[in-house]
This record gives sequence, C-alpha cells and structure tokens, in this order.
Amino acid sequence: MTVEAARRGGEALGDSALRPDGVLKVTGEFAYSSDLWADDMVWGVTLRSPHPRARITGIDVSEALAVPGVHAVLTHEDVPGEKFYGLEHHDQPVLAIDQVRYQGEPVALVAADHPETARRARDRIRVGYEVLEPLTDARRAALDPSYPKVHGDRSNVVRHQPIRVGDMAHARRVAEVVVRGEYEVGMQDQAFLGPESGLAVPAEDGGVDLFVATQWLHVDQEQIAPCLGLPTGRVRLTLAGVGGAFGAREDLSMQIHACLLALRTGRPVKIVYGREESFFGHVHRHPARLRYEHGATRDGRLVYVDAEIVLDGGAYASSTSAVVGNAASLGVGPYEVPNVRLDAYGVYTNNPPCGAMRGFGAVQACFAYESQMDKVAEACGLDPVEVRIRNAVAEGSRLATGQVIDMPAPLAAMLEDARAFPAPPPTGTADVRDLPGGVSNTTHGEGVRRGVGYAVGIKNICYSEGFDDHSTARVRLETVGGEPAALVHTAAAEVGQGLVTLQAQIARTELGVRQVTVAPADTGVGSAGSSSASRQSYMTGGAVRAACEAVRERVIELAEERLGRSLPGASLHDGRVVAADGLAVASLAEVLAGRAVEETREFRHRRTTALDPLTGQGDSHVQFAFCVHRAVVDVDVELGLVKVVELAAVQDVGRILNPLALEGQIHGGSAQGLGLALMEEIQVRDGVVRNPSFTDYLIPTILDMPPMRTRILENADPHAPYGLRGAGEPPTLSSTPAIVAAVRDATGRPLTRIPVRPEHISCG
Amino acid sequence: MRPLEYRRAEDPRRAVTAVAGRPGAMFLGAGTNLVDHLKLGVARPDLLVDVSHLPYDKIEPRPGGGLRIGAAVRNSDLAAHPLVRQHYPVLAQALLSGASPQLRNLATTAGNLLQRTRCPYFQDVTTPCNKREPGTGCSALEGYNREHAVLGASEHCVAVHPSDMAVALTVLDAEVRVLGSGGERTIPITELYRLPGDRPDRDTVLKHGDLITAVDLPGLPMAAHSAYRKVRERASYAFALVSVAAAVQVRDGAITDARVAFGGLAHKPWRAYRAEEALRGVRVSAAPGDTLAEATTAAPIAAGGAASTGENAGGTSTVEDLRAAADAELADARPLAHNAFKIPMARNTFVAVLRGLLREEGATR
Repeated sequence: MTVEAARRGGEALGDSALRPDGVLKVTGEFAYSSDLWADDMVWGVTLRSPHPRARITGIDVSEALAVPGVHAVLTHEDVPGEKFYGLEHHDQPVLAIDQVRYQGEPVALVAADHPETARRARDRIRVGYEVLEPLTDARRAALDPSYPKVHGDRSNVVRHQPIRVGDMAHARRVAEVVVRGEYEVGMQDQAFLGPESGLAVPAEDGGVDLFVATQWLHVDQEQIAPCLGLPTGRVRLTLAGVGGAFGAREDLSMQIHACLLALRTGRPVKIVYGREESFFGHVHRHPARLRYEHGATRDGRLVYVDAEIVLDGGAYASSTSAVVGNAASLGVGPYEVPNVRLDAYGVYTNNPPCGAMRGFGAVQACFAYESQMDKVAEACGLDPVEVRIRNAVAEGSRLATGQVIDMPAPLAAMLEDARAFPAPPPTGTADVRDLPGGVSNTTHGEGVRRGVGYAVGIKNICYSEGFDDHSTARVRLETVGGEPAALVHTAAAEVGQGLVTLQAQIARTELGVRQVTVAPADTGVGSAGSSSASRQSYMTGGAVRAACEAVRERVIELAEERLGRSLPGASLHDGRVVAADGLAVASLAEVLAGRAVEETREFRHRRTTALDPLTGQGDSHVQFAFCVHRAVVDVDVELGLVKVVELAAVQDVGRILNPLALEGQIHGGSAQGLGLALMEEIQVRDGVVRNPSFTDYLIPTILDMPPMRTRILENADPHAPYGLRGAGEPPTLSSTPAIVAAVRDATGRPLTRIPVRPEHISCG
Repeated sequence: MRPLEYRRAEDPRRAVTAVAGRPGAMFLGAGTNLVDHLKLGVARPDLLVDVSHLPYDKIEPRPGGGLRIGAAVRNSDLAAHPLVRQHYPVLAQALLSGASPQLRNLATTAGNLLQRTRCPYFQDVTTPCNKREPGTGCSALEGYNREHAVLGASEHCVAVHPSDMAVALTVLDAEVRVLGSGGERTIPITELYRLPGDRPDRDTVLKHGDLITAVDLPGLPMAAHSAYRKVRERASYAFALVSVAAAVQVRDGAITDARVAFGGLAHKPWRAYRAEEALRGVRVSAAPGDTLAEATTAAPIAAGGAASTGENAGGTSTVEDLRAAADAELADARPLAHNAFKIPMARNTFVAVLRGLLREEGATR
C-alpha cells in the first residue's frame, strides 16, 4: 500500500492512518532519547568489567575524582537503597559488589561536565580483579549438578519446565517413523538503532524525574525507586523518543545509574551509550541447544515428541523464566501431539545476559520443530505442507499443556494459502543485486540453485502463566475551539510499532470525534504494562476502548439530561450524539457545554493459570497467533551464499486495525527472522563478545531483504477487543525456519544451526 | 580517547618532517579507520598531521600508458573514473565492493592501502595482541579465528589485511610512491606489505614518517580484461571472507599470461604466483561455461534457477585446470580452528573469477 492510498483511507479504526512521527523520523527531526538536553546537565558514563567472571579485590576512585570537571564517582557503596534489581528475580546488582559475572557488567559511574572528561576519569578508576575461569557451558549448567555455580549457592537452573502428556513407552512402540535432530540457535541481538539513553532530573521534593526510552515505564519505576531508597511516587518517568526496542528495553540499563548520579550531583544527568557499549547494555536472545525426536505413523501423523531445550540465560535471570515457559508450552509447535515428553531449561552462565527478544522462547523452538516436521515429511514421503496440514491444530484442539484453543485457528487453510501463492519468476542474470552475493559480484548465475521452504509458528499473545496483566487508559472529552476533542493518556510505550496512531484511531471511532491528541506516556497515569508479547493493541487498545465507552456513557447521560428524555442505544458520530434511530439529537459541543468528561479504566484480559511444575499442564496463555511463511531462495552452491528471492506470509490477525502499520510489522518481523536465518549472531568466546559493532554484527540490508507477498486473514477472536490478535511477533518465528528449509531444498544440506554460514552450505 | 595535538600540514615535506621527528605522530587522511582506532584506544598518537588537503587529489594518465592516482583521491572518485573503468575494471569493482557509499566518498587511496586489520582482538584493547602491543601474544590463535589467515601467518599473528582495493592493485603491478625523510622512492605494491613473522605490529615496509603520495599503475593491456569478486555474508557493507582479483591474457586458445591475487586469506593481499604459473598454457576450451557444480557433481541447475550457459562439456577440462591452479597456490594453506572453509571457498572463487573472464574472452572473439 502506498502512503497516498493510506492518506485517502482516513483515520478511523481499520484505516491506514499515518503515524505522526513518520515524517519526522525519515527527515531526521524526531527527538530520540539520545537528543535530550538540559542546560545545566552533566554527563554520566559507566565503567564496565572487561572480564566475564572475576572477584573484585578493590576499587579506588580517588584519581578519577581528582580529574577537573568530575562531579561524582559512584560505586555499589553509593547505592542508598536496594543493591539488586531484576524483572523476575532481583539478582542483578545496580553496580557490581564483590564480583562480576559477565563481560560489560557495570562497576562504577562517573558524572562530569563533558562526556570526554567523564570517559577520561573513568579510565582512572582502579579496579582490582582476581580473574576466574568463566562458566560458559549452558548444557552442563542445566544438567550437571557438579558444575560450579554462577551465583554462590543458588542453582544454575533458573527454571526447568517439563511437559508430560500421554504414554511415551506406548507411543514409541506405536510410532512407525522416527526422526531425530539436534539444533543450535546462535545469540541474536535486537540491534535497535537508538542506543540506551535518558536524562534524569533531580526534583525539588527530593525525588527524580527520568526521561527515558523504555518498553514499560511502571516496571522501570518499581525497580528504580527501591534502589534509590525513594518511595515509588517520587520517581516519575516520562517516555522519551524510542529508537526501536524488540525486547531489549525490557530490562533496565542506565535508568538507576542516571538517577543515582542526578541525586548525588543535584544536576540533570544524561547518559547515552555508544554503539559498542550498547551491545553490553542490553540482554540478547537466548542462544539455545535443542534435541528433538519425533515419532509418527507412516502416513505422517505425529505420535510423540521427545525434546530437550537448553536456553542460555547468561549471568542474570532477566526474563529467562518466562522464556522457558514459552519454549516449553509452545515447544511442539501448532500441532496435535498425543504424547509429549519435553524438558526446557533456562540457566545461569557467565555469558552475556539474555532475556526478551521478539518471539521470546517461541523462536528457538520453532526452528527446531519445523526442521523436524520437514524430516517427518521426508521420512514419510510427503510434501512438507501436507505433513503440516495433517497435524495442524484447529479451533478446539488441545495443546501439549492441555489448554484448548478456544478461538479460530485456521492453520490448514493458511498452509494451503501459502502453497497457492504463485511461484516467483526465475531470477534474471542482468542485475547482480538479484543474485546471491549481490553487489559483491560473486556469481552471474552460474552455480545457482533455487529452493522453496515452508514453516509455521505459534506464538502466545499477552503475558501468560497467571500474571496479572493489565493496562490503564484515561480519556478526556472536551470542547477545544468549539470543536469536540479527545485527549488519550496512557503509560504505554510507543516503540515504533504504531501504538500512538492506533490509540487515536480507537478514540476517533469510539467517540465520533476527529480531533484526538495522545498525551506523552508517563507514570502520571496507571500502568499500561509492557510493549512486549505483541500485547499493546490488545491491552492498551482494550483500555482505551473501555475508557472511551465510559466517556461515551457519561456524554449520553448528559445528553439525556439536556434533552429530558432517555436515549437507549445512542452513539457518537461526527461530533454528534446519534439516537438509536440514526438521527442526530445534539452536538457534542452543546452537550458538553464547556465541561470536560474524563474517565480512567483498567483493562484486564481473561485469567490464565500457571503451568504445573511437574507436568506442564495449565491454561497458561491468553491468545494464540499464527503465521505461515513460504521462502524462495537462490543459493550459490559453490560459495555458500544465499539470496532470499521472496518471502510470502499468511497471517491471521483477527481484525485489521491499520493495514499499513500491520504490513510494516509483518515485513519487519520477517526481516528479523531472515537475519537470524542467515547472518545475525553475537560471537561469544569464553564469555567475551567478539563483534560488538554494526560492522561486524551483520543485520540484513535492503539488498538482503526481498519483496514480500502477504495474505492477511481476519478470523475474530471472540475474547479479544475488536476480535484482534497480536501481530508483531508471529512473523519472526516462521520466517527463519522457512528460509532454512528453502536452503536445504536447494542444497540437500542438513543445516542444523542458525545462522546458516557459507561453510555449512558448500565449503565445510 | 587521549588528548592529542592536531596540525594541518602546510606542505608535504614539512608534514614528513613533523611526523618523522616524533615517534607518537601519525598522518591523518579521511580518518575513516584511524578515528575509530582513536576511540577504541587501538591507536594512541600524540600528534595528528592532517594531509588530506595536500595536492594529491588527481588521477592523471602517464606518458606511455598507465595512470598516476594521487594519494588523496577519494575511493568513490577513483571507482568512477572512466580510465579506471575502461582499463582497470578490477580496480573499480574492488573499490565498489568495499565499505559503504558514505565511507567511499571520504576514504582516500593512501588511507585505503594503510587501513588496519579487522581482527576483533586487535580492536579490543583488553586482550593480548602482538599487532597492537608487540610481545603480548596472539589471542586469535586459540580464540575466535573464523575470519583469519590461512596463508603466510605466523605463531605471532593470524590477522588478515582488510582492503579490497589493495588486492586489485596487487594484480595490476602497481607501484606506491613514497616521500620520506630521505626523499622520494617507489615501492612495488607486492613489496609494500609484509607477512607478520615476529613483527606483526608492522603491516608494511614503510618507515615512520613515510608519506604515500601516489599509486602508479603501469599500462597493462591485459588489465582491461580483469575482474574482482568478493565473498561475504551479506549483500553489501561487509568485509571479505575471501576475494579474488584476476586478469588474464588468452592467445590462440590458451592462457598466455595471468595475474591473480587473493584477499581475506593472509596478512597481505596474496599475489598467487604459483597459480599464475600453473595457468600459463592452460588450453581454453570452446566454452568453459560450465559451473563448477556441474563439473564436480553433474547436478543440474534447479528448474527456475538462473540459467547456466548450457554449453557443452568441453569446459570441464578447463575448469579442472583452473582448480588445479588454485590448488597449487593453496597447497600450503594452514587453517585454524574455525576457518578451514576459506580454502575451498578461495578455490571456488578463484575458479569462478577465471571462468568468468575466460567466458568473456570467448565472447569477445
């Protein structure tokens, strides 16, 4: 869809309303968190450990403090409140105390009147380290009780979640076809462009105001305040311009540090990480080792899955527990499997901490189970799409957790749709950009083979396993300049996904007004929850709708008072109150008569339950979303280079709220999956990151990402607002295994590790 | 970053004197590599002498053929120059496969020649590195060495040279003009770069204070028939895993002369003399259009795949000769733990480049 078409499309729900920050971003005028400025501010920098595991024998800051222009140098001793924080476990020190557990762990802070001064002073802090052998073997951490512990006496296993269904002994006897595989997923980075940054401003009440790019203001606030020794209300957060998130801003980075320095110096403190530092400033996608065994009948029906998934959580827990929950509960994929024995582990090591990234535990499992499905197909002599259709879940199916899918799940039809896409034409040889190697000029068509692959994924939407997941919205309707205008206020983080646009679309539609303003997100209103788990359209969308409905009821009451009669079934359209018979009975301006109507509502999705710790049974998820990909690739089989010719996706989104924004989410998610399939990996050796730059950590460019074909279905989920289904993550799951399947199809290589390297294809 | 003094050079001689007389001084060109190194602490000069504006920004034809390329000519301008494109396509292709347009618009000829390795340990000042700090050891030997050298490395250093342009210049018999304390001299590019030996801190034979002023290309008719191919893991903006620059001359159905160099395999652009020797006399079959895949596995191109030329099998013997020539050069290759793939990749790239040149040769006659 073009922007022009979108412009014609209007701004109500279902239209391709344009995002207000779009033009600003592409013209370089958008103010990101790294652009924040206060006239009297000082600059904060962080001293980090060069070692992945070491005892700290001493910290001497005296030389650093003596540097002219330095305002403060802080260590763990200067943390006035709680010394530890964390999303799920408070296991991460604000500043390292007696040991460091990963390369890049913050040890000390400096504030100075110029960033270069601060960096020079940082270099004069003397830290004594007794360097220890890093613990980097995740599988031993999971399974070997004699492996040394990363955290004192605490087990290295952050979470072990088993799934047990059926009778495995019987299943093994019955299965006619057995396929096994061991898979490995490298460490992917979210690679957002806007580095961790923010500005902390000390307040007159002894508190602090923090302007920061984050994904969830309130969970930041809840972690920051105790460490500062302040009541929650004295730490106020406002969302600054976010340059991408993808999970990497779920955990704290510089938030507490900037606040500590601001409170110590009495000056606003700005911290901006550089690109290299950013690689150490946020968690990454858990690298994983996965061992799968699938048993099936000769006609390709799954009998059992036996699997072990080990996720390396690195030095601190972050969201590892929830990632394990996803990998376990979604670990057999969107298939009916009567017998399952699956064990998912998330562990501590001295590798870089890992946590949330788009797809969250479902991505790693999807690569393994989809690779297995292709093996089942081959073993049974079936088409890969056919074997998936034969086993696909549908509405009413029971998942391995025992949860019944009580919403549309038209997987078989989606797979048929993917197969029915027309094949892209053969690649011409005129333009090398269309060929593997691109402008590197490596082939002009010789040695190139085409391959096609399919994959499907299942992703949970919203927070799971009994979490009290909610969002809050405040909506105010008043007359501005004679026109009715709505103000929507939430704490929901716009991280690029288009939530500001969507909130305005909802208010416009529900309140029948043209003029809608979305207030900056801050902690002055209740929590919106995280911009994670593809949940904000559902949750904050649901909250804005609920608040709008409450405002609408009040306005109709005011209209009834004014008109002296009841208006059953009335609604608001085009700035008017419209009675059930379709006739406008009053304008909003008349009804409001200079007053404002304001309502705040909390929205909750239906309850979920925990997974049984021994059997993994439970109704743990709110909603399921599905995407199917077909990938077509050309592979230079001499040099091992891959050109993805086309990615085609079929996704059921329940209801399309903004076609243009949705298309962008599907393209972006698919591109991130392409990166994991073919090039993106943080190279870690002995706990040390070897490629912390965008020169050496490769993300796809426009030359690597092919055109996309999409087919979007709207089978409404009766439990969700507007019937919608979260859309941001599912494409990230299935794009990776579809591409790898296509490369296998072209080359016949097993390809059990992602990202696939040239040497896995031809030069191994 | 450490404090340092910056001076804008007034003229070449004074620039040389300023740097030669101070051990901590360095020349500054566009800074596309050096400034990164200042930030990382890899380079720690106390004086930068800016030579980017000195009058070395011309590309001039030389009497008797050939080109003189000024040291300050920007990579973009060099790649786009009509005489370069016409007479030295390998150079234009190599330049365009390097870096990004923004970097090429800034980076200079001399700076490109003198850019330093992308070895992660060289760039990480917290790790031992003999190139950065002689005597501290080589972290890549037992560490992450997927991108490292398979030819000519030593126990002291296994880094590779990152330049694409220098690989092309190596097959063109370029000469580097240098102004030093003792006056002007020229160094053949094949002698400019060193193997690491026990002094990997020295990338080149240049002395402290030597200023590159130009690169001379000889008139080399076979260079009009040359090509550069680069293997990397994304379609643009990445360093080479392996690259090959080559030029060939064919007379009466046989290769009479050839120049080949590898990038990504060694501490310097690797001129493949042994392969060149093996190539001389190779009979060029009527249609060496077969893919290596066909020659080795007889597997057909998948339906819908890009078309092969579909010509007869007469090329097979040529492909085998090409492969033998590559093997002659790569016989001494010694892989590390993670980079054995570079050897077959280099061989396949070599065959692909030569095959492409020979096919063009066939097409033009």
